[in-house]
Amino acid sequence: MATETESIQTPASGLGEDSYRLLVESVKDYSIIMLDPSGHVVSWNEGARRIKGWRDEEILGKHFSIFYPPEALQRGFPELELTTAAREGRFEDENWRVRKNGTRFWANVVVTALRDKDGTLRGFGKVTRDLTERKQAEERIQQQSREILELSTPVMQVWQGVVAAPLIGSLDSQRTQQFMERLLSRIVETNSPVALVDIMGVPTVDSQTAQHLIDTVSAVRLLGAQVVLTGVRPAIAQTLVHLGIDLSDIITRSSLSAGLQVALEILSLRVVPKDGQ
Amino acid sequence: MTKQIPPIADSKAWRGYDHQPTRGELQITSESDIVVARQAIRQVCATLNFGLTDVTRIVTAASELTRNIYQYAGCGVMRWRALVEGAKTGLEVTFEDNGPGIPDVEQALERGFSTSRGMGLGLPGAKRLMDEMTVQSTAGKGTIVQIRKWVK
Amino acid sequence: MAADNISVLKLHDVLLVTVPPDPDDPTVTALQEKILQAMMRHDARALVLDISTVQTLDSFFARIVSETVQMAALMGGRTVVAGMKPNVAVIATQLGLTLGQAETALDVDRAFDLLRMPAPAPLPAKRLES
Repeated sequence: MATETESIQTPASGLGEDSYRLLVESVKDYSIIMLDPSGHVVSWNEGARRIKGWRDEEILGKHFSIFYPPEALQRGFPELELTTAAREGRFEDENWRVRKNGTRFWANVVVTALRDKDGTLRGFGKVTRDLTERKQAEERIQQQSREILELSTPVMQVWQGVVAAPLIGSLDSQRTQQFMERLLSRIVETNSPVALVDIMGVPTVDSQTAQHLIDTVSAVRLLGAQVVLTGVRPAIAQTLVHLGIDLSDIITRSSLSAGLQVALEILSLRVVPKDGQ
Repeated sequence: MTKQIPPIADSKAWRGYDHQPTRGELQITSESDIVVARQAIRQVCATLNFGLTDVTRIVTAASELTRNIYQYAGCGVMRWRALVEGAKTGLEVTFEDNGPGIPDVEQALERGFSTSRGMGLGLPGAKRLMDEMTVQSTAGKGTIVQIRKWVK
Repeated sequence: MAADNISVLKLHDVLLVTVPPDPDDPTVTALQEKILQAMMRHDARALVLDISTVQTLDSFFARIVSETVQMAALMGGRTVVAGMKPNVAVIATQLGLTLGQAETALDVDRAFDLLRMPAPAPLPAKRLES
């Protein structure tokens, strides 16, 4: 689409006006319409009929804000689109629009200011594409990715005040971030001061992984809880010492059950008699 | 029939963060605009598909960079636009001022986040939080910082 | 305007300060001032900072809180920061932000429980990033 305001005279590319009309009218995949300077619909095409649902006689003369959902109308989006297009020559947006039957579709919209050779604003060209399918597919993929991640890093409450998270597989940056977020949320949801993070299922621990674990412990501490790291196998213990990684201010145990014991000790220490100070 | 569009100043929706969500700008002219900037970016992010933590990252970075504008240049502008690259969507925010500029951008970015007190405080932090960041600065002329984050 | 929306409550010899959701810079600075004045006036031995509604923790806020914790310690008081939101904790960690010697608690109730126990031995100053 043109990025400059341009004259609406027939350009010098050789097509007559009738051919242009045929071109615009016939395109089915794009809604190509013209608005007058105040936003009323003055032309309609096959694509507009298909995407938006209105027939010519129903829509010509109506204000284009009819295509917008209520929350957009509240915020004055239609006027803003025209103002921006008038000022900058064009405006592009991806957002929800509404069909004649009230259903929504995800639209890619380009509005172009149409000026004659004096620069007078004659109206706006509006090209809209229905991208609902693409958007739904994207959202499905994202949802599935999230679900996969959740299945592989469950955080379960194992006791009043204790959550446990067995980590299985290697920990990359992305996975650690998401694990951290979920662990912290669960800690807050269940009001658990102790989190058992079991790394028995983590094949190797290199400096990166160790840093991710340290970050997780720090974040949990900021929340007001603490981590007991369990499942530290001999091989892992050796690697950590050889790499010079200092986990000395984190409580670690070799098994989950030993970790649970520590957790209960921590919790019992916190039971303070209410009568004294 | 050729009714003119009301001038920009009259449009009731013309207030930085009330803009249509995929593009807008906010003038930074006072200390209170730092919090306005945070709220504006938060609103913008709500219309994109960022997770809560990423929203917090972007808002935090915006807070840092807006404060930089206010503290070192006195005034400037924050602009944002949604990004679409194939199936990827994201947000780009640009912070521009005509302030004193950053004499050594490399150094400003290297400094430990919590210890830096001088020029560019918040730059290394913003860099850590965002996916992409570019800094253009000329001593005496001004600074442009652009940050981007993609929806994951 | 800045100091209006900060509440500083005194419960026995502990101050409870509730930080508003998105405080502007002047409010944050006023917070520090108010806290220190109140600590002196009431001879408080501890401070509970409730940040359970705070959504953004940028470097300015972190610095002022960290300073306040130090100042309170100098005046003989413990600080417990309570209710940090998960997304805020993730970002604070990513940025290497520290709350100094402040203790932390999941919520205000647990903060008060914590204060009934003796203070932990001060940790050696440890950087979160290498």
